[in-house]
Amino acid sequence: MGKTKMKRTEAGSGNLKEHFKRNWPYYVMMLPGIIYLVMFKYIPMLGSVIAFKDYSAYKGIWDSAWCGLTNFKKLFTYPDFYKILRNTVVLGLLKTVLTFPVPVILALMLNELRNAKVKKGIQTIICIPYFVSWVVVGGLVFDIFGIGGLFNNVREFLGMSPLLVMQKESWFRPIYVLSTIWKESGWGTVVYLAAISGMDPSLYESASIDGASRFQKMKFITFPLLVPTVLTLLLLNIGSFLTLGFDQVYNLYTPMTYSVADIFDTYVFRVGIQQAQYSFATAVGLFQSVVGLFMVVTFNKIANKVSEDGGLW
Amino acid sequence: MKKRYAKKLMSATLASVMVMSMLSGCGSADSKSTEATEQTAEASTDEDIEIWSTNNGYLPVEAGSELYNFYKDIIGVGIVQPYVEWNGGETYLEQLNLRIAAGDMPDMFTPWNGVETELIANGALLDLTDLLPEKAPHLWESIPEDVWDAVKANDPTGQNRIYVIPQVMSYGRNGAMIRKDWLDNLGLDMPTTQEEFVEVLRAFKNDDPNGNGVADEIPTGGRAEARWMGQLFGQYGIAMWEGYPQWDIYDGELTYSAVTKNMRDCLEWMSGLYAEGLLDPETFLNDKAAWDGKINSGVVGIWEHLPQECYNYAENIYNGTGVKPEIAVLPAISAPGYEGYYTMHQMNGGGFVVANTDDEAKIDRIMKVLDAYGNQDLWMKFYNGVEGMHSEVVNGESVRLPDDPSTQQNLVLVPFNQIATIDFQVNVLSSQLTDDRAWAVSQAIENVQENQKYVKSFAGDGMPESITSDYPDIANRTLYIEYATKIITGEYSIDKFDEFVEKWYATGGTEVTEKAREWYAKKAQ
Amino acid sequence: MKAYTKKSHVRESANDKIFGFVISLILILFAVITAIPLISEAAVSLSSKTASQMNQINLLPVGFTFDSWKYLFMKGKIWTPFLISVSSTVLGVAIALLLNVLMAYPLSKTEFRPSKYIMLFVVFTMVFAAPKVPYFLTLRSYGLYNNYWVLILPHIMTAYNLIIVRTFFKQFPRELEEAAMIDGCGKFRILLQIVLPASKAVLATVGLFYGVTMWNQYEHPMMFIQNMNLFPLQMKIRTIVDGGGELQAVTMAQTANYTSATLSAAAVVFAILPVLVAYPWIQKYFAKGAMLGSVKG
Repeated sequence: MGKTKMKRTEAGSGNLKEHFKRNWPYYVMMLPGIIYLVMFKYIPMLGSVIAFKDYSAYKGIWDSAWCGLTNFKKLFTYPDFYKILRNTVVLGLLKTVLTFPVPVILALMLNELRNAKVKKGIQTIICIPYFVSWVVVGGLVFDIFGIGGLFNNVREFLGMSPLLVMQKESWFRPIYVLSTIWKESGWGTVVYLAAISGMDPSLYESASIDGASRFQKMKFITFPLLVPTVLTLLLLNIGSFLTLGFDQVYNLYTPMTYSVADIFDTYVFRVGIQQAQYSFATAVGLFQSVVGLFMVVTFNKIANKVSEDGGLW
Repeated sequence: MKKRYAKKLMSATLASVMVMSMLSGCGSADSKSTEATEQTAEASTDEDIEIWSTNNGYLPVEAGSELYNFYKDIIGVGIVQPYVEWNGGETYLEQLNLRIAAGDMPDMFTPWNGVETELIANGALLDLTDLLPEKAPHLWESIPEDVWDAVKANDPTGQNRIYVIPQVMSYGRNGAMIRKDWLDNLGLDMPTTQEEFVEVLRAFKNDDPNGNGVADEIPTGGRAEARWMGQLFGQYGIAMWEGYPQWDIYDGELTYSAVTKNMRDCLEWMSGLYAEGLLDPETFLNDKAAWDGKINSGVVGIWEHLPQECYNYAENIYNGTGVKPEIAVLPAISAPGYEGYYTMHQMNGGGFVVANTDDEAKIDRIMKVLDAYGNQDLWMKFYNGVEGMHSEVVNGESVRLPDDPSTQQNLVLVPFNQIATIDFQVNVLSSQLTDDRAWAVSQAIENVQENQKYVKSFAGDGMPESITSDYPDIANRTLYIEYATKIITGEYSIDKFDEFVEKWYATGGTEVTEKAREWYAKKAQ
Repeated sequence: MKAYTKKSHVRESANDKIFGFVISLILILFAVITAIPLISEAAVSLSSKTASQMNQINLLPVGFTFDSWKYLFMKGKIWTPFLISVSSTVLGVAIALLLNVLMAYPLSKTEFRPSKYIMLFVVFTMVFAAPKVPYFLTLRSYGLYNNYWVLILPHIMTAYNLIIVRTFFKQFPRELEEAAMIDGCGKFRILLQIVLPASKAVLATVGLFYGVTMWNQYEHPMMFIQNMNLFPLQMKIRTIVDGGGELQAVTMAQTANYTSATLSAAAVVFAILPVLVAYPWIQKYFAKGAMLGSVKG
């Protein structure tokens, strides 16, 4: 039903038959995927109504009492709301500006490696931390920065006194960024490497004939060809701008760094999960999603302006 | 219960199908969903009782399995338990809530973090007030009457009914321990005053009590979030359980111990110790493994934990360093102007609740289970579990085998932990007095008894979680640990403590205090 | 690609050599740093009980022993969960690729106007997630409770991966498809015979993404599977890693030379190994993706 309606506005009723005749295979191809998304994403999503209810597990979704915007009010009047919003935005920005480009650079560099075996080896090794959970990685970070850890050994060697940076507010953000790069940027190269492998070798050949250096080829051929992929991934990531993920922060922060580390996800964990306040957790999730949608839509518009067809839609 | 469940499923299915057909114009899913309804409805059998409790990685109890038969032989009732990850209670709570949401509550389960309050209010749990004395007399008598009274006072409906079987610990489990052999090495006496205590800490730090020629000793310390530091908090008469401040009478009224003058003085003192290097500088970065690792390495002088388990530290220190340590209970020390003690936590939340049902036969079966659970004659049997799996027979006596999650089923009924008595603890420890372990285990036996001299209960013991559940940051002591750790490490000056107290009251502390005092007044009646 | 490297090798200038050297150096350094988590976990898994209890293991095993690994393999009962994980991952990746390719292809056609709206429909699922409880109830009502398929079905399509496939399809040279169209090929045939053979790189990439998601999953089985016989590897590992609380039994395995920390380290390493084996194998499709050029030529 919905689809037919869409088409009519699209193509005008006269062309409908023509459109269908030409494009029916496309509809057939998409059907399973659409059914899937409806069944596994949209139907459960309807349960988001509990954000507007005082959900009780025993009464169930439909029988729980409506409570209007109480849950949202609770979020916005939370005394530390400003603090967690600021922390989330700052960390989100750092992630987008400092962490996001690293896999691109790594992939460009990997592409320049000539020895196939070395390249394969490095490619595999740098992915490893991605498969190790944050609990383990967090533990390692604490070890490295602990007394007797690498960091303080170096300080001692330089004649400085030990510094417990894990309990210093000013160190949290750098550690957050570095640990993200450490754990995830290797894995992030996978898409870019696949994209690079699809590039047309003849372009490089003609550049070589023109006497271009390796760096010039990287800058003027590989990188521009990679931009659409980079842009797409940026758009895909920007939607979860406020959803930084609970595990990383939870395993890296201490009460002494709360004031810069507490984010929506850790707050929801304390309130929504530990106290089983599902309505509230859902309300916070909706808030994060609405902001995410706004970001995606905005950036999509910009992307469409920057390069034709650069956006997601 | 089952009818309710079926109805809910039906409506969920119907709703899904409706939306499906609306959005995609396709009705192919409904045959699939009705099938599912039938499939899940028959999953639980009527004869067996499904019980959920803590499981730290052990095998589940399925119908027909060895442990199932073991319980059936003793109690006459089949008990099943699926594998539900505990994970500090968080995963467990979520799983439980999902099952409740699906209208499929386990027959009997350990409540966690106040989940029972709302269920009681909705009539979802079985009223045990009259059933217990009649049908589970052993359990009724195993738990002291004043504890039952406290349980009644916690009835959220205000009708003084019993819905929760409490976890009771009738002795002081946690206490501070000291390396007695270090004192002897340095020729020092057991400290009895705060001044002497600090002197001992200094001596531990500077005089190489472990005699290895390296200044690697950590006089004392604790774990992240200022946990397990009762040896220090206790000196100021602060009710503190494993790093969670408790409610006690201060200035004549029930007050959160974190916002008292006691706490202020204690933090000020601790920040001095930290600055002097007498506390482990990494105290607030230590997780369990890190802190235990330091104790096991034989470099920690004084720490708080379970005296009944000190054999474990003793044996680990011996294995790692070759030194047979002597671990003693550190007598409770009083700071000037305060009465020091170690906190004893008698009522430790809920042990079990029972899902409401009209099925008389089922109620009878559950009561049989509960009666056996409270029957102290059976406790040793429950403790030893299945022969060949949990225990073996040596010289005609059952002896527990080492814990092994991958081969042992989870013991569902552990009354000896949930209605814990010191006698049972000593019995269990005594069963391990073998030639090679006696030196360590006997220390534990001695210490657990010695510790009782220094423990004291607190007025807020047994306060239900529901009192703080609207204020998660208070329940999680978020603000407290932030200020306390920053003050101790010197990041904040002690003056910041007043700001903390103000903030705490402003962000829900006032309301919580009011509720807590109301509860206390009612309980005291 | 190969031909190109050979040719350019000959006239590599001094600057290019320095450039290559610096890049190799940086990458090797980065690789060494990123190898630390695995090395340290491996070291813990090969260390003795005493060393673990004293918390003294860094990057090298202390008191070397295979006891944790022996326990894991002989008593850990990990093989059934291992097979469940392998089978569900393989099956899941196959289904996922089919579904995603079919859906992404029409979406990559800008001249197919509805694709724009469908894209919005897709992006929406990326930004908005279902709350846990309704999600659980819905999937349970589909019969996915204590059901093997819950390891697969929830993971076979994500907006993220779908859009990646679409991006690659979009960059596919138009002329090729148009030529085939003129030859009278239907849309299905074009996808199957022209586009897909040249898309191995993206199929490998997205297949890898789906595979890793399914291999690493524990949240779904945790919610939906309470029957231990259906546990995938990561769930089984969680039962081993779960160290327990403060209370312990006085009985201890005097002879065993492992702790829950060394066991869980062994389990973590064990779960990563298959990925380490599979990934280099998948990488060869990245190089072959360059086929695109030769098709064109």
